[in-house]
Amino acid sequence: MALVEAGMERPSLPARWAQDHLRVLFFSLGKIGRAPIAAAFTALVIGIALALPAGLYVATQNLADVAYGWQSSLQISLYLKDGVSAERGAALARELDALPGVGEIDYISRERSLKEFREKSGFGEALDLLDDNPLPAVIAVTPAPQQTQDQIEALVAKLAAKPEVELAKLDREWLDRLYAMLAIVERSVGILAVLLGVAVLVIVGNTIRLDIESRREEIEVMKLIGAPDRFIRRPFLYTGFWYGLGGGLLAWVLVSVAIALLTAPSAELAADYDSPLGLTGLSPAAGLGLVAAGIVLGWVGALVTVSRRLASIQPK
Amino acid sequence: MNELIRFDQVSYRYPGGQDVLSDVSFSIAQGEMVYVTGPSGAGKTTLLRLIALLCRATRGQVVVMGQNLSVLKPRRIPEFRQRIGLVFQNFNLLYDRTVFDNVALPLVIRGYTYADIGRRVRAALDAVGLLGKERALPLTLSGGEQQRVGIARAIVTKPALILADEPTGNLDPEMALEVMRGFQRFNEAGVTVMIATHAIDLIEAIPQRNIHLEHGHVTDKRPTAASQLREHMHHGLG
Repeated sequence: MALVEAGMERPSLPARWAQDHLRVLFFSLGKIGRAPIAAAFTALVIGIALALPAGLYVATQNLADVAYGWQSSLQISLYLKDGVSAERGAALARELDALPGVGEIDYISRERSLKEFREKSGFGEALDLLDDNPLPAVIAVTPAPQQTQDQIEALVAKLAAKPEVELAKLDREWLDRLYAMLAIVERSVGILAVLLGVAVLVIVGNTIRLDIESRREEIEVMKLIGAPDRFIRRPFLYTGFWYGLGGGLLAWVLVSVAIALLTAPSAELAADYDSPLGLTGLSPAAGLGLVAAGIVLGWVGALVTVSRRLASIQPK
Repeated sequence: MNELIRFDQVSYRYPGGQDVLSDVSFSIAQGEMVYVTGPSGAGKTTLLRLIALLCRATRGQVVVMGQNLSVLKPRRIPEFRQRIGLVFQNFNLLYDRTVFDNVALPLVIRGYTYADIGRRVRAALDAVGLLGKERALPLTLSGGEQQRVGIARAIVTKPALILADEPTGNLDPEMALEVMRGFQRFNEAGVTVMIATHAIDLIEAIPQRNIHLEHGHVTDKRPTAASQLREHMHHGLG
């Protein structure tokens, strides 16, 4: 063979790049395949770390859905002015019934209020001491189902503007509190996701670090024969990629299994509350997002570690 | 003749330590075969390391293949090193890869197509007489065969320059001579070869230009064979 040869033919740069990425993709997968148990444990730890915030996210979404469903069972109480006659009150109730966004209407005249109060409160004798009936007439409005908070608030404002109405009151304090709590939980899930994301970076980084240490000699030899850093780095980055991909897929599976296990008991609960809502799981987009998050974290964790370590390894 | 390597008053000192090489100047033309000799610690390995940019001169200038190494940026080093074939005393093979994969590595780094890689690797293995051992793992081979794998890896890219540091240090005399004959054949085909060695008998068997180092200096002395050494000792005793 001719030993000195100028300019050997090489494929174009993009072709070389693609060829090497493809080679390393399968090379790194094969390397993981030779130690499948260890790799599976790493992926499982990553999967659990990703599944926790993802599962909590799904839980808060479902809680928000349930709260949203309860919204329509709220009642708006319209206290009518004392001067409004019983006939006018009943007519107003019929008018309101026709408005969009209004579900059910119940007109409670002053007499009926008094009668119900007597029956239910046990303070009937106290009322007898008064000259007049102190109770106002009330129209109880149940909003139509499946409305947003804003729509319902607009309805309340519209009803309050009626000249016959003294006061419109939406009994929603407890719902506001629930929403506030949900907001806190959602924020907490966000914080937890960031912390566990950092944990995934550390897990991947540590696994890659051990991998690098066990291949120190190989890296030295590669540097001796002129391998650029990006060539040496690539298999480790792909190892991080596979861990992230495996962890992300496992997280998706874990969340889906948890939802499947919770579906039956939650359906019973929903039936008790007359709510048609079942549990919603991760949407395909959210699931793919979870896998993508795993891949990005795996890749970045590997990149940070390998870049720091590689500089410290020099051929002897 | 074209100058391939030039040392101009080159000194190398370990960080915080003593001078390993001081004021070394020489020039090697393209196509030469040169031995670097001298006692242990005289700076033979350091001299080869300076050429391969495994370390940088503390003072003076090293010019290799027209490239002044003192101004070469660190990120350009891999590219530069790819142009040199390196052979080591301890072979520096990857023991979890087959012979084929070991020899193919420099070509994989450069991004050749797999068809080209297969062809060149087989040609290189053929040149060192290991064509049948492609699928073997290095540890199943003898020391001489492992060193020939190392040599095949060094020549597979067809470099203009081969640097060998004690390539026969771990081999029995027969293997050692065979390996040296191999280097001679590459040299005859036009490759510049530099070999750091203790093996006086091999130098005598295949005489070539000799750069002899003592205490970090180039001297006109020549290496002493063990047989002569014994005579010296007898004189001393007598």
